[in-house]
Parts: sequence; structure tokens; C-alpha cells
Amino acid sequence: MNAEAIVQKISSDIKDKIQEVSLAAPLRINVKVDREKLLAVLQYLKEQFGFTHLATISGVDLGESFEVIYHLASHLATVNVRILTPRSAPTIPSTVSIIPGAILYERELQDMFGLVVQNIPNPRPLLLADDWPAGEYPLRKDWHFNRPAEKIPGGK
Amino acid sequence: MAILKPILYILVYPGLLFLLLYSTFCEWFDRKLYARMQNRIGPLHTGRSGILQPIADIVKLCAKEDIVPEKADKRMFSALPVFALAIVCTAALYLPVWHYGSASSFNSFPGDLIVVAYLLTLPTLIFFLAGWHSTNFFSTIGGVRVLTMLFGYEIPLLLALLSPAVLAGSWRILEIATFFQKQPLLLLVNLIGFFVALVALQAKLERVPFDIPHAETEIVGGQFTEYSGKKLAFFRLLGDIEMVVGSGLIAAVFLGGFPGGLLPGLAWFIVKTLFVIFLLAAMRAATSRIRIDQMINFSWRWLAPLAVLQLFIVIIIKGMVS
Amino acid sequence: MEFKVSLGPQHPALHEPISLRMTLDGEIIRDADLKLGYNHRGIEKLAESRTFIQNLYLTERICGICSFSHQTCFTQGVEKLMELVPAKRGLYIRTLVCELERVHSHLLWLGVAGQEAGFESFFMYTWRDREVVMDILDTISGNRVHYSMNTFGGVRRDIDEIQRKHILDSLDLLRTRTEYYLNLAATEPTFVGRLSGVGKLSKEQAIALCAVGPTLRASGVPMDVRKDDPYAVYDEIPFEVCTADSCDVLGRAVVRVKELMQSYNIIEFLLKNLPAGPIKVKAPRKVKENEVFSRYEAPRGENVHYIKSNGSDKPERLKVRAPTLANYPATIAMLKDGFIADIPLIFAAIDPCICCAERLVQLDHPRSGESKVLTFSQLRQMANQRYKNKQFKKKETLWPF
Repeated sequence: MNAEAIVQKISSDIKDKIQEVSLAAPLRINVKVDREKLLAVLQYLKEQFGFTHLATISGVDLGESFEVIYHLASHLATVNVRILTPRSAPTIPSTVSIIPGAILYERELQDMFGLVVQNIPNPRPLLLADDWPAGEYPLRKDWHFNRPAEKIPGGK
Repeated sequence: MAILKPILYILVYPGLLFLLLYSTFCEWFDRKLYARMQNRIGPLHTGRSGILQPIADIVKLCAKEDIVPEKADKRMFSALPVFALAIVCTAALYLPVWHYGSASSFNSFPGDLIVVAYLLTLPTLIFFLAGWHSTNFFSTIGGVRVLTMLFGYEIPLLLALLSPAVLAGSWRILEIATFFQKQPLLLLVNLIGFFVALVALQAKLERVPFDIPHAETEIVGGQFTEYSGKKLAFFRLLGDIEMVVGSGLIAAVFLGGFPGGLLPGLAWFIVKTLFVIFLLAAMRAATSRIRIDQMINFSWRWLAPLAVLQLFIVIIIKGMVS
Repeated sequence: MEFKVSLGPQHPALHEPISLRMTLDGEIIRDADLKLGYNHRGIEKLAESRTFIQNLYLTERICGICSFSHQTCFTQGVEKLMELVPAKRGLYIRTLVCELERVHSHLLWLGVAGQEAGFESFFMYTWRDREVVMDILDTISGNRVHYSMNTFGGVRRDIDEIQRKHILDSLDLLRTRTEYYLNLAATEPTFVGRLSGVGKLSKEQAIALCAVGPTLRASGVPMDVRKDDPYAVYDEIPFEVCTADSCDVLGRAVVRVKELMQSYNIIEFLLKNLPAGPIKVKAPRKVKENEVFSRYEAPRGENVHYIKSNGSDKPERLKVRAPTLANYPATIAMLKDGFIADIPLIFAAIDPCICCAERLVQLDHPRSGESKVLTFSQLRQMANQRYKNKQFKKKETLWPF
């Protein structure tokens, strides 16, 4: 089964669950879905085509909203499933029940973008320091790093 | 004169001075061999071909800051290295390097084989106490591993030392050595026991493949994690001296001792201990560290039965000879 | 008696800082958790304020061992964004460096495995042979670690006939040495005893936890980006995907040694079929608004970059997922119910590159199980306080001999 056939099958099978599906480049399929229907789409991709390997989850700050992209890969093709979540209520569902290996990527998203992952089994911070101030999310576009003035011990 | 000789014995040869110098030389020899076996050069810069490197290491350690953990039992923590060093140095006195003939004296009497084996067990207990009193997690695990390993190698070692004693009909190291000097062919009977004792000695010295108690990639420094400065230098020195005493004991019991009085005795001592150390270094270079459960398994499945087999062989041969 | 302990951030078995927090029952591990971020340098944030050309050298510095992996992954992504067709000879040289890097990384791993298992001789031998590959990389790129060979549209340096011959000659030596290691790793009883049966990861677990690279292939899943999603010139090269079915650390070692042999064949094929022509084509400075998802088979597994451009000369977003991060969930599954003695081996078996995947110290009280966290600044204050209060005797500060 090649990438075109997968696009065909997705658009005929679960037309009601997705917003759009396209073949962006050879072996790269883009699927756009509502965040409520994400789990159903991932479940379908896993059962129908065997997309069990989640390469990573990318978060992008679009200003008004956050885009979250689930990169699923297999020997057939790569499927990028994207959802949008508004900045005012940045929640996304946890995919750990379908793909157990997603846990670290979801914890990373929580740390870096301040997204709230619902039903995540272990919500502890993963990457940021233990004394990192709450409410600061480094990969948001409006966050800037202000380097503290360097103090040289014994200097003036 | 009668008093002078024991004093010389204790302080100069084969007592403290000789032991300190010779054990550092043995460490250099071992390091250099190990390095050559691994395609390296080894110590090079201190003294001729780095021969003074072990001494330099100890001097450097002595100059380092001496830290005692806050939660540790300070008195025990500081006393343990000194005790351990004193004990192995005492054990060294019983090696028959400069013997007095057949007369019993303070350092050669019937049963001194057992005394040396006992004295060589004590440092192991001290390692355990050192680990326990450091109150560090890694030290505690290291200490427990030391004791667990003791149950593995100690009995095969004793059994292996037993067989030459049974063959010679004596518990005195000097008499065992003299017996084999008269009948060198009988040494071949003890070959299995020799290898069992060699492996058990390697475990006693906690060297690869038996460096389980202080495996640095697993539990940092094991029982020595919290030790630093002079105390660590004592433990390092202790390891070297234990190696000399252990290989000297094996050479005396299994390789026919050191005949010929002062100077030939010294020559024999050096040749035979270096031979044992060479075997130990080769074993170290050719193997990888094993797990504690594998070690116990190995000693009870292979070492102990082999030692018992050796004992049977010795009893049968003894029946045939006499 | 169950007690909690934290291995790291500083520990002799770890070459880079990471904290493994474990619940132990005697010598057996009951539970494990990870704390990352001790090496977090904010490269993804930094990349948004650098131009594409600057990012080329920034991505290279994500890792010291697989530097070329990250750079190539980024370069390939950006080339797709620019709709650029790289020069053929450039692609061949790029693939050559990829495979040389794989050889050097796998040889390094073999040595590390030997060291973690307490087999120092093995470590010394493999690292000595690794120098041969390092020398090859040095002669063709001028550097031992950061090769900086890539540029958009090809590579920066050509290789000549003398270098070609040098590499081919060195390959013979590497082949015989690798066969010797394969033989050694399969026959030395103490080494095999330490590796086999350790760190079991079943096929189902490996797939569910999204493991990558040799960790996944040693569980019997033939997944390799070079075959599934060919990049550079891998669709023209004959090679096999190496797998093992033993699902343990020994299997991972065998997969890596087999891959070494495959890499030697690939290098030989590349050098014998090197096309003539230019090594690079000219690339534009600005990039159209688009996005790309770039995959690359690094020595440690699948390496992933997601690049989004916004029409300027800087990326809108660069997301890097190093293979090590993908293998962490599988590592935790492998550690459970193992021995303390196996921690370094299991952890080393995924070939962790901690700085790829991403300040303070956690102290656990061993007996009571309570934990407190000290920040770096607090630790520094404690140290200063200690030395201020300590009354040095005058003699003690001097050289004692």
C-alpha cells in the first residue's frame, strides 16, 4: 500500500472525523482533525494501517492558538496528524492509552508550551529545572530570555 | 643478637620497610603488565619507567583533604584503615622468607597457616564495617556485597590451602614448604588446588572479574566511596600489601616456598610472588566483571567442588605414598 | 527493605548528567523514574533567532558523537523547503560521512559496553581501533568531532584519489578487527554472562513504547529509516537491515556489530561508485513559507527534525527529537525488576546521548526515604559556608612532606 492509497482510504473511511487530508510530499501525509476527535483518528490509523510508532509530537505557537502535530511513522509513510488548541484554554487529550510511548513527548509539551494534557498518568515536570518559576513556558513566542547580569566573585 | 633478629624481622625484612617498598613495586609491576596486555603503556614518568608511580600516588593522596561524613561514626571511620593495614602487615610476618630451621619461634609454629588465613579474612570484615559506618547508600551496598562475596570464596580458599597441608602432614607453612622442596614432583598433585586458590585470591583482592563490591560504574566506589585523603591511601596500600601476602602464601604452600636462607630466599620470594601476580594480572585482563549472584553461583558450583575433589586426590595419593 | 535512591546527576557510569530515581528492594529495582534537563541548552529556542546557515552549525552542536546526524537531518529538511536538488557527488560524500560516523559511534558503544560491564581490556582495544575511523574523518573533513561537511545543496569539501585509497586500505583493518570482536563478544564467558538475558524488552513492548534504532531492531522489528524512507543515496545502495531476536543487551551488541559490517560494505560501495561532477549547487538565502518533517537513521536510531519556515531567512520553529529521548520509556520498562549491577549496562545499551535528548542536585536520605531538593545556588552557598567556617590549621594547608 502506497501513500496515495492511504490518503484515498482515509478520506473515504473517516471523512466525518477529519477536516482535511492531503499528500504534502512523497511519503508525507497531512491530516487535520478537531482536537475532540484526535483519539478516534489515532485509533483508526493504528488499527487500519499499523501506525504504532509515534516519532514525536511537535508544538508550534501560532499566536492565537497552538498547533500540535503528532508525527506517526511506519514503513508505509509518515502521517502528520495536526490539531489546534486555543491559547485561552490550551488543553489536549492524552494519547498514552493508545500509544504508551507518547508519555515523554506529552510531558515535554507541558513544560515547554504550558499545554494541559488531560488524563496524563505522570504530569511531573520533565525537562525544566526544579526551581523553574511557574507559568513561564520557554518555547512560547512571547517568552524571551533575559540573561541576568553576570557577577564575578571578587570582582568590582 | 637473639632479640635483634626478631626486631629486624618485624621492622626491616620481611616486615614493614620491605613490605612497603615491595608492595608498591608489585603494584607497579601489576599495572605495567595489565597495561601491556591492554595495548597501553602504563605508568611512565615517575622514576625509571614509572616505577615510583605507586609511591607518588600514595604521597599525593596523603596531601589531599581528608573528609569525614557528618553522619558517619567518626572514631570507627578513622580507626578502620589503620586496623586493616596493621592486620595485613602482621600476616606478612608469617611468610617463611628467612626461616629459623625447624625450631618454633614467634613467627613460625604449628598451625600458622590457619593464623595467616584468619588474618587475611579480617580486612574483608573491616571493608564491610568501613562501608557500613560511612552511612552512604553506595558504601552500604558495597559493604553488603563484600560480605556476600566472602561466603563465596572463603571456603574454597581454605579447602584449597588444606590439601597441601594434608599431603605434607603439617599445619606449619615452613614444614609444608620444606616437604615440597624435598619432593618437588608432588607439587603437581596440587595443580587443581593451586588454580582454585588463585581464583579465590583474586576474589579476596576484589579485582576484575570480582571487583563487585567497588564496581565504579554501578555503585561509585563501593565501601570506599566516602573515604578520601590519607585514609584512602591506607586502604590503597592495604590492597597492595594484601596482594603481596596472598601471593606469598600461595607461593609458599603451592610452589615450594623460598629455600636457601637470606639472599637466595629473597630471590625466590620475588620470582615466585611475581609469577603469581602475573597470573592474577592475566586473569584480570582477560575477563569482565560478573554479577554478585553469578559470582556466588560460580564459587559453589565450580570452586568448592573442585577444592573438595583436590582434597580427595590428595588423600588417595597420601595413602599410596606412605 | 525498600528504599529510594537517585543515581546521578553525577555518577561514574553516566558520562553526562541525568537523574535516575529508583525504588530498590535490596539489589533489585522495583520502580524507576527519570529526570532530564540537566543539560538543557535551549537550542530549539535559540534556533528561532538564527538564520538557516547559522543553524546548520548550531544543529551540529546538539551532539558530540552523532553531530553529523543532526546536521544532515536539518540540511535535508531545509533542502526540501528550498526545493533544491543537491549535487550527486555531494550526496555520495554526505552518505559516506554518515556511514563513517556510524562506524565510529558503534565502535565507541562497544567500548562503553565493555567498560560498563567491567571489561576494561575490551574498552581499550575497541577505542584504539576507533582511532582509525577518527583519522579517516580527520583527513576528509579536517575535524575529529564536528565535521561541518554539510551545506545546503551538497557538501563543503571534496575527497581526492589519495583519500579514497586511504579509506579503502583502512577498511580491511577495521573488518578483521570487527570480526575479532564479534568472536570475542560471543565466546568470552564472563562477558556473555553479563550481557545475555539482561534488560529484556519484548517485541510488543518495544513497538508500544516507540523504541528506535538498535534497541528496537534487537527486539526483532526490522525498522530502519534508510530502508523505509530512503534519503540521500540509500535507495541506490544494497544493504541489509540487521535484527536480532534475543531482546536483550547481547542482542543489541550483536545488532551493532552486524551493522558495522554492513557499514563497511556501504562505504566500499560508495567509494567504488563515486560519480564525478560538482559537490554542491547554489542555495537561496530565504526560504518560502512551508513545513517539513525530516527523518534520518542516526547510529542510535531514528532522528527527527520538524522545521517550519515563515518566508524569512530564519526558521519559525525547529523541533528536534533525538533518538535517545525515544528510547527512554523503553529503558524504564527494561530497568524494572533488574539488578543494580545491570543498571549501567541496560542504560548504556540504548547508547544514551543525554545532551542530545536535552541544573540542581537531588539528595535522598537513604534510611527514611524522605527527599529534599537543593538548587545549585543553595549548594554553592553551602560549600562557601563550609569553607568559611572551617578553621584551617596553618600546618594543614601546607604541603605535608
